[in-house]
Amino acid sequence: MRDMTIGQYYPSNSVVHRADPRFKLLILILFIVTVFFCESFFSFGFMTFFVIVTILLARVPILKVLKGLKMIIIIVLITTLLMTVFYTDPNSKPLAEWGIFHIYLNGIYAAIKLAWRLLLLVLMPTVLTLTSTPTELCDGLESLLSPLKKIKFPVHELALIMSIALRLIPTLIEETDKIMNAQKARGAAFESRNPFKKIKAMLPVLIPLFVSSFRRADDLADAMDSRCYRGAKGRTRMKKLHCRVSDVVALLFWCAVTVCVLFLNYNWFGWGFIAVLGL
Amino acid sequence: MIDVRNLSYVYNPKTPFTSQALFDVNLKIEDGDFFGIIGGTGAGKSTLISHFNALTRVQKKSGTVLVDDMDLSVKKLDLKKLRAKVGMVFQYPEHQLFDDTVEKDVMFGPKNLKLPAEEQKARAKEAIELVGLDYAEFAQRSPFELSGGQKRRVALAGVLAMRPEILVLDEPTAGLDPVGKRDIMNLVMRVKQSCPTVVMISHNMDEIAEYCNKIAVLNRGRVEGVFSPRELFGSKALLEKCGVELPLVTEIAVELCRAGVNVNEAILTENELVDELLKVMPRAVENA
Repeated sequence: MRDMTIGQYYPSNSVVHRADPRFKLLILILFIVTVFFCESFFSFGFMTFFVIVTILLARVPILKVLKGLKMIIIIVLITTLLMTVFYTDPNSKPLAEWGIFHIYLNGIYAAIKLAWRLLLLVLMPTVLTLTSTPTELCDGLESLLSPLKKIKFPVHELALIMSIALRLIPTLIEETDKIMNAQKARGAAFESRNPFKKIKAMLPVLIPLFVSSFRRADDLADAMDSRCYRGAKGRTRMKKLHCRVSDVVALLFWCAVTVCVLFLNYNWFGWGFIAVLGL
Repeated sequence: MIDVRNLSYVYNPKTPFTSQALFDVNLKIEDGDFFGIIGGTGAGKSTLISHFNALTRVQKKSGTVLVDDMDLSVKKLDLKKLRAKVGMVFQYPEHQLFDDTVEKDVMFGPKNLKLPAEEQKARAKEAIELVGLDYAEFAQRSPFELSGGQKRRVALAGVLAMRPEILVLDEPTAGLDPVGKRDIMNLVMRVKQSCPTVVMISHNMDEIAEYCNKIAVLNRGRVEGVFSPRELFGSKALLEKCGVELPLVTEIAVELCRAGVNVNEAILTENELVDELLKVMPRAVENA
């Protein structure tokens, strides 16, 4: 359990690390929207180029970034395979056919694009979590959502819940480790092959874990109460978020990238060279 | 008998987070010992004892641990046999309670040993009574509604129900009030009659001095030495070298001596202190 990595922040002092988390979140949203607009191989390549530039600027080891892809690589492979064999194109002849499965050239293209899209969609959030601490992200989110306070949405509370949850993940892992060891010492076996037996074997771990979570929550509430915590009202921050010129520039830059992709896609002015690129 | 030979242990080997917890540890715990292990935080005490029932496996080329005739460094290990033989009680053992009645919780260990149902029940009853709880009163109660000290007894019973031959305790009295501490230690001494070998980690030097016959001092993953209580607490040089404090009762005796009261400095238990004080008291009364 102990070598599980959650909250995979990679400490460094790069431009991307220092950037305002609010802007990083905005750019991420913009990026995700843009990726869904990408249709041609050229536009995918275009986006990938800027992702690579971001990774280089962030100065995180490329292996760390690729580790983030490990979780979804199976999903990507399966969807790609299904896309390839089930894609139907009435306008052309299939390259190969077995019963209900058939492979079209366009099907292969579509599958590659799908895989590419999925990988891009995971890469960028990975870079975000590698370059921002969970606290930064929570603060950024709270600040971004603050307009919702107008309609009485509990923004601060939501951010607090998030940061507490993130903070307690390592604690819970440690606790799980301890309880598992205690039950193993009493002869419990967690290595059963049968999934039902496995779930049943986890009960002696899950119940104490639940009990201790409630106890911890109680303690935390008491600790906050004794420090006069009264919610968001009148609360100031020790670390204020500062947006710098570079953050605005980065956001504008990504807006420009989005516009470029839209251009490649819709070709509003009917330029010939774009039509060539738009495979 | 537990024989630790040249044991080393590294956490997270071959990563940036690597840290060595044990360096070439050699110890021999004989049958019948009440073996104390002391040392500051991060000294490797918990890592060491978690080897004793193979919760932490001996790493390759890092020495070995022998428990009687079992070599814990071999890959194929009869874990069930080992864990029935070495009973391990962790810090705050009450956090491991999970079942809806005390009896069922205590039966968890015997059940895992695949003993017949009546035997499981008999052992649970025996263990619950051994820890000083009334079987009729507690067996069907929920362990979660008991007091802190009672919970700890139930958790202890859960380990004792496996009838271990060696009992390993990690700070058994942590977080209890003085009366609770005394109760648990009395209980351990009672258990020692049927389970003769006890290994105990403690930060409480009074407990160590009073109960242990051998004390291993760990410092940053290395064994500074194994001493008898009189050797360790009788030698200022040793205490300073190992960074160990005196038991409170010994400190009282030392302070009394310094103040001119004629008592023996080298006492280790409360009873000895009381005896010493009684010896000087009549004279003190006479003088007055």
